[in-house]
Amino acid sequence: MKANAIQVEDVGLNLDELREAIQEEYEAVAAEPQRGFHFHTGRPLARLLDYKAEWLAGIPEAAVESFAGTGNPFSLGEIKPGERVVDIGCGAGIDSLIAARMVGSEGQVIGVDMTPAMLNKARRAANEAGLESVIFRQGYGEELPVADEWADVVISNGVLNLMPDKDAGLKEMARVLKPNGRLQIGDILVQKEVPQSAKQKIDLWTG
Amino acid sequence: MAVIMAGFVDFEITWRKDVFSGAPQSGSAADFGTLGINFRARKPRTEAEWHAALKALNCEIPLAASEVK
Repeated sequence: MKANAIQVEDVGLNLDELREAIQEEYEAVAAEPQRGFHFHTGRPLARLLDYKAEWLAGIPEAAVESFAGTGNPFSLGEIKPGERVVDIGCGAGIDSLIAARMVGSEGQVIGVDMTPAMLNKARRAANEAGLESVIFRQGYGEELPVADEWADVVISNGVLNLMPDKDAGLKEMARVLKPNGRLQIGDILVQKEVPQSAKQKIDLWTG
Repeated sequence: MAVIMAGFVDFEITWRKDVFSGAPQSGSAADFGTLGINFRARKPRTEAEWHAALKALNCEIPLAASEVK
């Protein structure tokens, strides 16, 4: 965690305040998904990101409506029955539930998120869908509550860019993957250099 | 490069798209040319495989023919 503090302090931000601001933003996405944010959400976003209708069929609306991803991890490779998947920054659980259906009863999915309101929605959605192969744990991307070399696949969607220490987040992804395990990530690419003054604005980190 | 440095090989961005235009609230995504992307990578089978990927990162970029005097 010291590396996090150094990176965030480098741009004049406090790590705890930054995480609190990100949590507040995503608590709002959990509680009021229709409110309107500076990113798309829900089913329209899933269509924009080319999610197949068959993946979304049977996924409870509570998980779909708070979806706030930026890409499509499932377009990057097949997730097979019996595999173990970690979903980092799972939010209300849409990708974890889709993955749970792909891995079936012989596989396992662990969804990790730092926002309790999102985890509550995700757990309720998993119960509603009757999916027992998925569990949800509270934690940070830089300190995953997952054993070494547990996963066949790590997925994440629109979350790496929110992590204060992206290098630590990537190293955690490598730690929890088995050798030859796959990383399938949706995130963002910033094509223009972000000035230091913009990096100091918490609202630019939270979206 | 950060992905390889973190312990991966075979990094590849497969898709990019403007996923922020038309969002309900205006944001700064367009100011920075922000796109949604999909990328994949693989954890190497062995340390040697990773070291080979790291070594490839450090290779020199050959000069273009037009730059050779």
